[in-house]
Amino acid sequence: MSKKIKLIIDGKNIEAYEGENLLKVARENGINIPGLCFHPRISPTGACRLCVVKINGINGLTMACTVAVKDGMIVTAFDNELEQNRRTTLSYLLAEHNEEYDYTYIDELRPLISQYNLENEKNRPVKSIWQNIPQVIDETSPVLTYDSSKCIKCFRCIKACEEIQGKSVLSFADRGINKYIIAGYGKWGESECDGCGECIQLCPTGAIVEKPNREKININNIDKKVISTCPYCGVGCQIEIWVKNNEIVRINGVENVSPNYGRLCIKGRFGYHYANDKRRLTQPLIRKNGKLEPVSWDEALDFVAKKFLEIKQKYGNQALAGYSSAKCTNEENYIFQKFIRLVFENNNVDYCTRLCHASTVAAMIRSLGDGAGTNSIEDFETADCIIVIGNNIIETHPVTATFIKRGKQKGQKLIVIDPKITPLARYSDIYIQPRLATDVALLNGMMNVIIKENLVDLEFIKNRVEGGLEAYEQLKLIVEKYTPDVVEKITGVPYDQYSKAAVMFAKAPTAIVATGMGMSQQTIGTNNVFALINLILITGKIGKKGSGINPPRGQNNVQGATDVGASPVMYPGYIPVTNDENRSRIAKLWNVDYEKLDPKPGLTTLEIMDAAYEGKIKGLYIMGENPVITDPDQLHTIEALQNLEFLVVQDIFETETTAYADVVLPAASLFEKEGTVVNSDRRTLRIRKAIDSPGNARPDWEIIIDIAKRMGFNIGNYSKVEDIWEEIREAAPIFKGISYKRIEKEGIQWPCYDENSQGQSTLYLDKFNTPSGKAKIYPVEYQEQNEKPNNQFPLVMNTGRLLYQYHSATMSRKSPVLNSYANDSYILVHPEDAKKYNINNKAKVKVISPRGELITTAIISEEVLPGETFMPWHFHEAPANILTRNEKDPISKIAPFKYSIIRIENI
Amino acid sequence: MKSEYPLIVSKNISRINPLSLDDYIKNGGIEALKKALKQTPEHIVSEITKSKLRGRGGAGFPTGLKQSFTKNSCSDCEKYIICNADEGEPGTFKDKYLMENDPFTVLEGIIISAYAINAKKGFIYIRGEYDKSIKTVENAVNQFYNYKFLGSNILNSNFSFDLEIFLGAGSYLCGEELTLIESIEGKRGYPRIKPPFPAEKGLWNKPTLVNNVETFANIPYIILNGSEKYLSIGTHESKGTKLFCVSGNVNKPGVYELPFGITLREIIFNICQGMKDGFSFKGALIGGAAGTFIDETMLDCPLAYETLKEKDATLGSGAIIIIDDKINLKNLLSNILEFFKHESCGKCVPCRIGTTLIYEKSKNKNINEDDLLWILKQTEYMAKTSLCPLGQSPILPVKSIIKYFSKEIVSYEQKN
Repeated sequence: MSKKIKLIIDGKNIEAYEGENLLKVARENGINIPGLCFHPRISPTGACRLCVVKINGINGLTMACTVAVKDGMIVTAFDNELEQNRRTTLSYLLAEHNEEYDYTYIDELRPLISQYNLENEKNRPVKSIWQNIPQVIDETSPVLTYDSSKCIKCFRCIKACEEIQGKSVLSFADRGINKYIIAGYGKWGESECDGCGECIQLCPTGAIVEKPNREKININNIDKKVISTCPYCGVGCQIEIWVKNNEIVRINGVENVSPNYGRLCIKGRFGYHYANDKRRLTQPLIRKNGKLEPVSWDEALDFVAKKFLEIKQKYGNQALAGYSSAKCTNEENYIFQKFIRLVFENNNVDYCTRLCHASTVAAMIRSLGDGAGTNSIEDFETADCIIVIGNNIIETHPVTATFIKRGKQKGQKLIVIDPKITPLARYSDIYIQPRLATDVALLNGMMNVIIKENLVDLEFIKNRVEGGLEAYEQLKLIVEKYTPDVVEKITGVPYDQYSKAAVMFAKAPTAIVATGMGMSQQTIGTNNVFALINLILITGKIGKKGSGINPPRGQNNVQGATDVGASPVMYPGYIPVTNDENRSRIAKLWNVDYEKLDPKPGLTTLEIMDAAYEGKIKGLYIMGENPVITDPDQLHTIEALQNLEFLVVQDIFETETTAYADVVLPAASLFEKEGTVVNSDRRTLRIRKAIDSPGNARPDWEIIIDIAKRMGFNIGNYSKVEDIWEEIREAAPIFKGISYKRIEKEGIQWPCYDENSQGQSTLYLDKFNTPSGKAKIYPVEYQEQNEKPNNQFPLVMNTGRLLYQYHSATMSRKSPVLNSYANDSYILVHPEDAKKYNINNKAKVKVISPRGELITTAIISEEVLPGETFMPWHFHEAPANILTRNEKDPISKIAPFKYSIIRIENI
Repeated sequence: MKSEYPLIVSKNISRINPLSLDDYIKNGGIEALKKALKQTPEHIVSEITKSKLRGRGGAGFPTGLKQSFTKNSCSDCEKYIICNADEGEPGTFKDKYLMENDPFTVLEGIIISAYAINAKKGFIYIRGEYDKSIKTVENAVNQFYNYKFLGSNILNSNFSFDLEIFLGAGSYLCGEELTLIESIEGKRGYPRIKPPFPAEKGLWNKPTLVNNVETFANIPYIILNGSEKYLSIGTHESKGTKLFCVSGNVNKPGVYELPFGITLREIIFNICQGMKDGFSFKGALIGGAAGTFIDETMLDCPLAYETLKEKDATLGSGAIIIIDDKINLKNLLSNILEFFKHESCGKCVPCRIGTTLIYEKSKNKNINEDDLLWILKQTEYMAKTSLCPLGQSPILPVKSIIKYFSKEIVSYEQKN
C-alpha cells in the first residue's frame, strides 16, 4: 500500500493514499463531484468533462477523474465557474440525447438534469440536435439492445468489455457527433459478443439495455433486491437478484465484492429463467401403474420411508445409497450425508464430484494434503505465469478467465495445454496441443527439460518435499526416460514448443496452474494430476503467494459438498471415515452411539451405479443429480436404475433420471432458500432466498429430515438453516471460524479455525497438510489406454462443456436466452477425417461406440487433431455419455469421459 | 526563393537530387551526424537548448527542454523518438516540401536527436495521402541503412538506431502527439489524457520524444554551426528560420524559408510578388484552421511567436492563407467550423457536441452579432474544458474573425 497523504478539497481536510484517483477520493469523502464516464472498475477516460475541478498550481481546469492525488494538493470542486461549466456540459449532453425514459434501468444522467435545473428545455443554453443525428439501433443480440440516441459515448461499455472482461468486442464506429457503439465489425448478433452483459451493467444512461424481462421492470416498483451466489459454476459470483411478483426479473453482479467484483457471465446474468419456469415440479409424484401421479407430501414421505425401511430390513444397511448434490447448499449436503450415515447406517454417499475433480482431489490430498485449490481467484491476474491445462476455462469458468485475460493485458505469460483448441488458446504465449490422454508423457517431458536446464528448485525440494533430494532422484529416474523423441512420438508436440513452455514456467517468479476435466476425467486421471503436481514441486511453484495448483470447480457447490462430508470416504472437514477418534467425536455431536457410525468407506458414485446394476444396491436416493445424462455408459446407467427396487429422485424439474424414479420429490431451487456454498477458492458464500418456491416444492434439507423422521430417526432439530451451519462448524474444524454474520458481505476462505482468523487466501505457506507437513512426489509413468482406436472404431471422442449450457442442461436449457446461443448437439471432426470418412460439414451423422450410438451434426473443424473428435455432452437428445465407458481410474474411480473410441456414419 | 535570406532547413533544396544520398553527402550532408557522434549526448542537448530552437509543429515548445525531459525521464529504460510528419493543418504543406525535396536533412536530425536522448528506435509518422513524401522518405531511409547511417553501430560508433516509417490514415487528430502515439500502437486515434506527457510516458508507455519534421531539419545545422550562429538569426524569442506556406490569390504562392521577424507585408508584396490582378488584400489566416485571422493593420507586425502573441495571434504551423476581397468570410468561417466538426474524434463532450453546435449555427442564413457572440461563448467553454487541442482550437479563428471581420460577416445576411 502506498503512503497516506493529506489533501484539501473545498476546505475539507482529507486523508487518502498517494496516487489514488481524485474523483474516487472526493466521492468517498462525501464530496459528490458529478461524472458519468468514470467507473471505479475501469481506467479513467476523461470523456464527459463533468468532474472539472481546479487544483492549486495547475493552470486552467482539470478533470478530477484523471488526477492522482498527491500530498498537499488543494482542490476546488465546487464554485460558480465550475458549476457553470458543468451546467453547460450537461446541456451539451442533453442536446445530443434522447431523453425518453421507460424506468427499466437506473439512469445516472437524470438526477443531474434536475440538480442543474435543466428539466425545462427553455432553461437550457443550447437546443436539441439529437433528432438530426443518425440514430443507430441494434437489436440483433439475444441479450441486449443498443440505441445510439441514448448513448453519451462515455466508453464505459467499451472498457467493460475490454478491461473488465478481456473480450474487446466493442468499439466506436464513425466519429465525432455521429459515432456509435458497434460490436465486432458491425452487428452485435454477428459479433464475438458472448452475452455476458458487463456493458449493460456499466452503461449509465440506458443506451445498452437488456432484452429479457424488460417489460416487467419498473425500477421504482421492484419488490426486492436480494444478494446471493450464482447457482451455476464454482466461481461463486455474487449476484443481486431483482424480484417482482415472485419472479426473477433481473440479475446484476455485486460491485466491489469478491470473488467476481461485479463481473458475471451470460449464465449468471441471464440464466435465471428456470426458477420461474412453468415446468417446475410443484407436487410430489409417485409412480402408479407405470405413471408418475401427483400425491400429497404426506403420502409421498410415508411411502418413501416405508420403502427404504423395507429394503433395509430385507437386504441390510448396505443395500441403500444416496447421491448428494453439488447444486445444493452446504447445509443440505451436510444433512444428506448425516441422513445416509445415521438412517441408512452406511457411507454410501457420493455425488458428481466423482465424475469431475475426483482425480484432482485424490492426487492433491495424497501429495499436498487438501483437495482444494491452493490460491485465490485474484492470483490468476497477478501471477507471472499461468498454465491452463485440460481446462476450457473461458467456457466453463468465464469469470475466472477474466482474471487471466486481465493478467495477460499486464504482461503475464500464459501457457495453454489442451487437445482441443479452446478460446483461451488465442490469448496464450504458447499453445500446446497434445494428443488425447498423453498428458503424463508431456509433463514428464517438460520436467526432463527443466532438469536438463538446471531450473529445478533444489532448496524447495530439500525443505518442503518429503524425502527431499532422494525423492527427487526417484522422480528423475522416471522422467529421464521422457526424451524429446519419446515425448514427440507419444504426444505429437514438438520439443521446441514444450521445452519453451517448461522454461517459461520454471523461470517465472510466481506461477499458477489451472487444471480441469481434461486431466481428471481419464482412467489415468490421478496420474495426470500427480505428474502436474510433480512439475509444480520441482520448480517450487507452490507454498507461496501467487503460486499453486487450482482446479476451478464445475458447479457452485462441488467444493462445499465434499467439505461438509458428502463423501464415502470423508467425514465433514476431510476427516477419513476410518478415523475412530473423529467418529466418536461426531457421534457425540450427533447424539448417537459411536457404534452406529459405519467405519467402512462407502461406495463411490459409479460404484453405487455398478452395485445397482449387479443388484447389490436396491434403494437409491438421488438429490439434485441426473446420472442418466452425467454418468458414463448411459445404457449401463439406465439398466442399473431399472434394476433398483426403489428410486427416489428429488429435483426441481423432471429429468432424464426421474423417468426411472418410483417417487419424485419437488425441491426448492437455490433462489428459494437460505444457506451457504463453497466456491473454487474455498470461500464460504451465502445463498439467500429471493423468491418463494412454486406449488408445494420444499427446500431439500426439510425433505430429508422429514423422511428420516418418518423412518423413525431424529437427525436434528433445526429451526432455521443457520442452526445446521452452526453444527457444521462443530463437525468440520476448517469452518469453525466462519459464521453467517462474518460472511454477511463477503466470503471467507477455509481453513478458518477460529473467529479471529481471516481465513487463508493461499494454502501451504508454512507447511503442507500431509501428516509429515511436507509435499510428496509421486513419480508416474505414461500409460497407454486400454481402449484403442481400431478398424471398427477408428476415431477417438473427447467430450466437454459449452459456455451457454450447463451440466445436464436441466437449468440452462430452460433459458430461451442461453438456447438462442447454443441449443444443438454436434461433433467436431478434423477436415482430414472428414475427407477420409466422407463426412460433410453440418451433415447429420450417426456416432457409434462399443457402448451405444446417437445422432448428431458433424462440424468440420481444425479445433481438434486428426483422429480426434469432440462432443458437448449437455444434450439429452444426443447424449454423449451413451458412447463413453465405465472403466475407472483405480484411485479416483472416475470414468474416462475424455476418451472413447467411435466411428461416424453418414445417415 | 529569395537568396538574401539565410537558409537552414531548405538549403539543399533544388541543389540536390532528393533521391540521391550521394548528392546529399557531396553537399555537406552527414557531417553534423559525424560531429554529433563524437560529442556526448548531454552536449548535444545543451547545444540545442542554447540555440532556443522551438518546435515547428505549431505549439513552439522549446525543443531542448523537450529533449532533456525525455532524456532524463529514466536513466536506462527504453526510449523512442517520433518524427511527426502527419501534416494535416489546413494551409500547411511545408513538411511535404521538406520530405519531397530533401528527406536527408530530416533523417539526419532525427538520428542526432535519437543519439542525444539515447533512443534505439524511431518512427516517422507520415500522412498517408503524402504519396510522394512517403516514396522519397522510404528511399532515403533505405539509403541511410545501406550507408550504415541507420542500424547497428552507426558510423562505427557504439550508437545503434532503427527508424521505421508509419503511415497515417487520414485523421487530422493523429497529428496531435499523444493521439499519434495511440495510432502507432495500433489503436484508434483518440487523444490520451495529459499528463503524463510523451516525455514521461509515450509510445508503449516509454519516454518518447515527438518533434515535427521541420524541427528535426534544424538540428544538423545547429550541431554543425553551433548555437551561437543559430542565435544570430531571428527575433528575441524566436530563433532561426520558419517555413511559411503561403496560399491564396498572390502571384507566387508557395513555401518560403524566412527568418523569424519578417513581416507579412514583406512576404506578400515582395516575396510573393503581390496580389493577383483583380484581387486586393483584406487579411490572412495564419497558422491554419487552428490559427488566427488578422487584417491589414497587422501587415507590419513581425512574424514571431512572441510578437504575434502580444496581438492575440498565433504563428502555428506557419500557414498563411491570404484573404482577398472576393472571399465570403461567413462561408470561410463556416468552412473552418465544418472542418473541426468533421475532424472531432468525439471522445469528449465539449468538442464532440460543441463543434457541431457552432458549425450548425454558422450555417444559418441569418447570422447576427448575437449569433457570433454565442459561437464565441461556446468556443470559450470548449477551450476551457476540451480534452485535446482540437476542441481547444476553434476559439482561435472564431475570436479573431469576430475581432476583425464581424461587421462584414453580419452584413452578408443583409445583402442577401
